[in-house]
Amino acid sequence: MTFPFQPARRRLGFLIAATCVGLAAGSLPAHAQSTADLAAAAAKEGKLVIYGVTDNEQANHLIREFRVQYPAVQVEYSNMSTTELYNRFISESAAGASADVTWSSAMDLQVKLVNDGYAQPHKSAETAKLPEWANWKNEAFGTTYEPIGIVYNKRLVPAADVPQSHADFIRLLTTQADKYKGKVTTYDPEKSGVGFMLVTQDKQVNGAGFADLLKAFGGVSVRVQGATGTMMERIASGENLIGYNLNAAYALTRAQKDPSIGIVLPKDYTLVLSRVMFIAKGARHPNAAKLWLDFVLSKKGQEIIASKADLYAIRPDVEGDTTASGLRKQLGDALRPVPIGTGLLTYLDQAKRLDFLKQWNAAVKAK
Amino acid sequence: MLQTLPRRAVVALLALSVFFPLGLVLWQSVLSGPFFMPSAQLSLESFVFIFEDPDFWMATRNTLIIAVGMSVIAIPLGAVLAFIMVRTDLPGRRWLETPILIPIFVSPVVLGFGYVVSLGPVGFFSVWFEALFGHVPWNIYSLAAIVVIAGLTHVPHVYLYSSSALRNLGSDVEEAARLSGASPFRVARDVSIPMVSPALLYVGVLVFFLGFEIFGLPLILGDPEGHLVLTTYLYKLTNKLGTPSYHLMAAVATCIIAVTFPLVLLQRALLKSAQRFVAMKGKSARQRPLALGPWKWVALAVIALWLLLTIVVPVSGVALRSVVSSWGAGINLLEVLTLDHFRAVFEEDVMIRSILNSILIGTFGGALAVGGYLLVGLATHRKPDGLSRLVDYIVLTPRAVPGLMAGLAVFWVFLFVPFLAPLRSTLFSVWFAYAVVWLAYGMRLIQSALMQVGPELEEAGRLVGASRARVSLDITVPLIRNGLLGAWLLVFMIFEREYSTGVYLLSPGTEVIGAQIVSLWASGAVDVVAALSLINMLLVGTGLALALRFGVKLHD
Amino acid sequence: MTDKTILSVDNLALSYGSNPILKGVSMHLRRGEVVSLLGPSGSGKTTLLRAVAGLEQPHAGSVTIAGRTIYDGAGGIDIPAEKRDLGLVFQSYALWPHKTVFDNVAYPLKLRKVGQGEIAERVQAALKNLGLGHLAERYPHQLSGGQQQRVSIARALVYNPPVILLDEPLSNLDAKMREEARAWLRNLIVEMQLSALVVTHDQSEAMAMSDRILLLNGGVIEQQGSPQEMYSQPQTYFVADFMGSNNILKGRIVEIRDGEACVEVDGQLRLWGRRRSDAAIGQEVKAVLRVEQLRLADGPGEHRVAIDLATSMFLGDRFEYVFHAGDTLLRAWGSRPEAAGQRWLEFPPEAVWVF
Repeated sequence: MTFPFQPARRRLGFLIAATCVGLAAGSLPAHAQSTADLAAAAAKEGKLVIYGVTDNEQANHLIREFRVQYPAVQVEYSNMSTTELYNRFISESAAGASADVTWSSAMDLQVKLVNDGYAQPHKSAETAKLPEWANWKNEAFGTTYEPIGIVYNKRLVPAADVPQSHADFIRLLTTQADKYKGKVTTYDPEKSGVGFMLVTQDKQVNGAGFADLLKAFGGVSVRVQGATGTMMERIASGENLIGYNLNAAYALTRAQKDPSIGIVLPKDYTLVLSRVMFIAKGARHPNAAKLWLDFVLSKKGQEIIASKADLYAIRPDVEGDTTASGLRKQLGDALRPVPIGTGLLTYLDQAKRLDFLKQWNAAVKAK
Repeated sequence: MLQTLPRRAVVALLALSVFFPLGLVLWQSVLSGPFFMPSAQLSLESFVFIFEDPDFWMATRNTLIIAVGMSVIAIPLGAVLAFIMVRTDLPGRRWLETPILIPIFVSPVVLGFGYVVSLGPVGFFSVWFEALFGHVPWNIYSLAAIVVIAGLTHVPHVYLYSSSALRNLGSDVEEAARLSGASPFRVARDVSIPMVSPALLYVGVLVFFLGFEIFGLPLILGDPEGHLVLTTYLYKLTNKLGTPSYHLMAAVATCIIAVTFPLVLLQRALLKSAQRFVAMKGKSARQRPLALGPWKWVALAVIALWLLLTIVVPVSGVALRSVVSSWGAGINLLEVLTLDHFRAVFEEDVMIRSILNSILIGTFGGALAVGGYLLVGLATHRKPDGLSRLVDYIVLTPRAVPGLMAGLAVFWVFLFVPFLAPLRSTLFSVWFAYAVVWLAYGMRLIQSALMQVGPELEEAGRLVGASRARVSLDITVPLIRNGLLGAWLLVFMIFEREYSTGVYLLSPGTEVIGAQIVSLWASGAVDVVAALSLINMLLVGTGLALALRFGVKLHD
Repeated sequence: MTDKTILSVDNLALSYGSNPILKGVSMHLRRGEVVSLLGPSGSGKTTLLRAVAGLEQPHAGSVTIAGRTIYDGAGGIDIPAEKRDLGLVFQSYALWPHKTVFDNVAYPLKLRKVGQGEIAERVQAALKNLGLGHLAERYPHQLSGGQQQRVSIARALVYNPPVILLDEPLSNLDAKMREEARAWLRNLIVEMQLSALVVTHDQSEAMAMSDRILLLNGGVIEQQGSPQEMYSQPQTYFVADFMGSNNILKGRIVEIRDGEACVEVDGQLRLWGRRRSDAAIGQEVKAVLRVEQLRLADGPGEHRVAIDLATSMFLGDRFEYVFHAGDTLLRAWGSRPEAAGQRWLEFPPEAVWVF
C-alpha cells in the first residue's frame, strides 16, 4: 500500500480536518496551534529527543518520513529497554531535563510516569482520531495496536497440536506434558515489564482459566525469557517448541524471513498492546514533540507503522492486514486491547506485585 | 616521580574518582528510594527486603557454588598447565602460548552466547553429537554447566600467575634438589609447587573473587532454568518491582563489596608475602626442560580438548550464528546462509557508531587511561610514604565493585555533578567508568614497567640537575616506552572486551559494542547480537595480533 | 690418569643450538684434589661444571665418576642429575626459602631414605662442622650471605658425595669476606679430604684454592697445570695475560738472538725478552712483563731505560708507580713514594715474554 506524497495538499487537509474537529468538539484549548504554526515553532527549536523501546530499524522508517516533512528538526532517537527508559527518564528529570518524548510498550510504566506528573497535555486533530481507551487525559496516547499471540515451530509442532484458543493451549500442555516438557517458553514476569503486564491482564481477562494456565506451565517446566526475540530464537531453533504471549507483530516480521515460525491469535481472546507515547512536562523542545506526536498519529504515520515498521496501526481509518480494522475483521470481539489508564497501576503497587510474583513462582516452579 | 603539589593533585583526583561513585552506592543502599527523589529517606529497608527475598539467598548460594566450583576446576588445571608450559618439553609450546590466553580477552557474554548456539539443547554441536551417539548427555543451562564453563574459562588467569611465578623461580633451587637426589616429580612436589604456592594462593583468592562478580555467563546461561547469581539478581532487580529499585541494587552491591573488599585486602597481604619469596630467588640459568616422554601426547590432548571447549566451540558457534538466519534441529545450514545480519549492522547508524566508539575507546581511550595510570604510577614511584600507601589501597578498591554497579554509579556522578553533566552523553563518561573499573589492572601493568627502571638511572638524572618531574619526563618515561606500548595494547583488548560497565551508560553517543550486546540480548535481537559479537571478537583479535607483532608479552 | 682419578671428562662437546660452547674438553680430578676451572665469561667453565652435574646436555664425549660412567655420548648413557650423587654449591646458594636450615640440609638424606634419628644426627654434625649449629631452625632469608653459603655447602656435603662441585662459591660475598672465606674453604676442603671442582673467574682465587688450574678459553682448555706453572710458565699470550697483573707493550721485532728477541715499542723503546712464539723479524708482537718484575733502577745500565714517572700511588703494603712510555702506561711496584720526573726502569729479559 503506497501513498502519493503531496505535502501541500496534505497540510491543507490537516488544517481543515483540525478546524472541523476542533469546532465539532468545541474543546480545543485557546492556545491550540495549527500544524503550520507548530512546524514553524518546532523548526525554531531545531531538535527533538526521543527515548523509545522500538528497534532503531523500525523507528527509522518513521523518523525518515518525519525528516522529509520537517527537515528543520533534527531527531535524536535512543533505543533502550522499557525499564532502562523509565529509570533514565526519572533520573534525568531529577537532574534537569530528559527526553522530549518517550515511547514505550511498558504501558503501566508510561501511565505511572504520566500519573506522577511527568507529562504535559496535547490535543490536536490527530489525537482526536484515537479510540477512547487509547487516550488518557490527553497526556498518554496509544500509538500502535499489537496483538499478542502464540508462536510455534512449524517444522516440529504438528498441525493438529496447534492451539487455537487459550483453552486449547492449556489442554495441549496438560495432555502432552511429556512431549512439551521444557519446550514451552514465555516471558519472565520478574525480568520483563511487558511480560508482567501481559500475564496480569491474562489474570483479569481469563478469570478461572488463569489458574489452569499457571498449573500447565508448572507441569511442563516452562522456560522463561526476558524478551520476545530471545523466545523466538529458541522456538525457531527447536530448543523450545511453543511460546506464549509473544508479540505477534514481531513474530510476523520474523516469520516472513523464517519459514519455521508459525503464529496463532487465540480465538477466545487476544490481548492487544499499544505503545504509549507522551510529551515530557519539562521537554526542551515541546513544539517539536507535539509535531512528532501528531505525525505518528497521522494517517501517514500510521500507514508507515502498519506497512514499514512491522507494527500494527491503531487509527481506525487506516486499512490493511496489519491494522486495528484489519484485525477486527479477523477476530471481531475477541480483541482485548489493554486500556490506557489507572487500571494499569494496580500491579505497580509493591505489595500486590510481589504477591503476584510469589503466586507465579509457586505455580510455575512447582515441579 | 612528581613534585609535591602535582603529586597531591593527582592523588586527590584519583581518590575522588574512586570514592565518590563508591560512596554514592553505599549511600544509596541505606535510603528508601532513589537518592535523587525527594521522598527518599534514611532507612535499612532495602537490606530488609533483599534479606527476606528467597531469590537473594538462592543467588548467594549459587554464587558461592560457582566461586568455589570454578576455583576447584581452574586452580589445579591452571597450575598444571603452567608447569607443563614452563618446565617441560611439550612440543609446540611456543605456538600454544597465545591461544591459551585468548579466553581472558573474549567477552563472557559472547562466550555464553556461543555456548548456547553450539552446545544448547539444539546447538550446532549438540545436533551433531546427537546424530552420532543418540543423545546429548549435557545440559548447558544447568548450574553444573555454568560452573564447569566458568572454571574452564578462568584457567588462563591461574595459568598467567602461576607460570610467571614458575618463570621467576630460579632454576637453581630446582637443580639443587635434583643434585640432592630428587626425581623431577619430587622436585615439583617438594620445591617448585611449595615455592609458587604464594602465587597459587593469590590467584586462588582472585578466581574465587572473580566468581563472585561473574555476570556474563549466568546472564545468558542461567536464564532458561532461572539460576540466579548475585550480579544477575542485581540486574534483575532493575525490574522486579516494576519501578526502579536503585536502593535494592545498591544494597546487593554493598553485600557483594562486603565480601570482595576483604578478599582484595587479603590478596594484597598475600602478594606481600609472595614477594618475600621472590626476594630470595636465585639466578636463573638455562634450564633443561623436563622430558615428558609419551606423556606429552596425553598433555597435548588435554590442552587441545580444553582449547576446543573454551575457544573453538563457542567462537565457532557465534561465527556460524552470525551468517545463518535460523538454526536448530532439522535445518540445513547451507540453505539459511545469509549476510543480512551484517548488512543490518552496517545499515544502522547506532551500530556503526557503537563499532566506531568501541574502536575509539580502545585506542584513544586506552592511551588516555594508560597516561592516567602512568601519572598515578609516577606520583608514587619510589616514594614509599603514607601517600603512596594510600594510593595502593585506592587503586585496589574499584576491583571490589561489580562493573555493572560501577557503571551505574558513574552514570549518577555524570548526571548530578553540574560541570560533568554536559559530558554525560559523550564517550568520556564511558571512558571514565572503564578507566576506574580497570584501575587495578592498569596500575599493575604500569608499576611492573616502572620497576624495571634501575633507581640509579633516575638518581643520576637528579644529580646532573634535573627536577623530579624532568627526570620522569626525560629518563623514566622514555625508558619504559615499550612497557607503555604493551600496557596500551592490553588495555585496548580489555576495553574492547568490557561489557557490564557500559550497560547503564548506554545513550546516543556512548554506545559501545559490549554494552550494546547486553542490551540487545535483553531485547532479543539475536541476529544483530551474533554479528556484533563476531565484530567484537575481530577487534580483540586485531589487538592480539598487534600485540604479538610488537612482541608485547601478554603477561609479566 | 691413575687409579686415584675420581672424575674424568673425556672429549666432552656441547652446543646451544648451532653455537658450540664446549669443543671437546678433557680433564681429570684425583681423589683429594682441588681443581679450578678458570676462564673469562663465555669460556665454558660453568657449562663444563653443569654438564658434569647433569644439568646441561652434552652431545659427545664421556664423563666418569669413581669408575662409573655417568655420561657417554657414543654409548647413549646419560644418568639424570639426581642419580649422579654429586654435591653442588650454587653461586646463588639456591637455598629453598620455604624450608628451614635444618630441612634444607636434611632433604638429601630424606631422599636417600635415611632414618629420622640418623638424619638429625648427621645434619647437626654437618651444621656444627660449618659453625651453623645454632641456626638450624632459621629460614634462609634470616641469614647473612656468609651463613647462607655455609648452609649451601653443608647441604652439598651431608651425603658424602665423592666429588663436590662449587660454582663461583665466593662471588656473592663482599671483597673483605671473600679473602677470609677463601682460606676457610681451602682449609675445609683439605681437612675433610674432599675432591672438589671449583669454577671461578678470579685468577687469584683459583691460585689460592686449588692444586691444579684448568684455564678455559672459547670452549677448549688453553693450558692446565699447578698454580705456579700457570703463573710463571704461560704457554700462550692468553694465559700470560689472564694470570697476574701485567705490563703489555705492543711493538715490532727488530732482532732475534738465540731464544731471545728484541722488540721496538713506539719506535723509541727497545727491550729484550724470551721468544714465546715463532714471530719473525718485522712482525708485530706483544711483550708481556709482570708488574712485580718491572723494577725501578738507580741509574743507567743494561736493559735499563729512562722513562717519565707520572705519579705514584700508595696501596697499603707497597707503592705503585705509573710511567708514561709514549702512549703506553707502565706500572711498577716499590716500597717508597717517588716524586714525578725521569727515572730508570729495568726490564729483565728472563721476565719479558714475547708473543
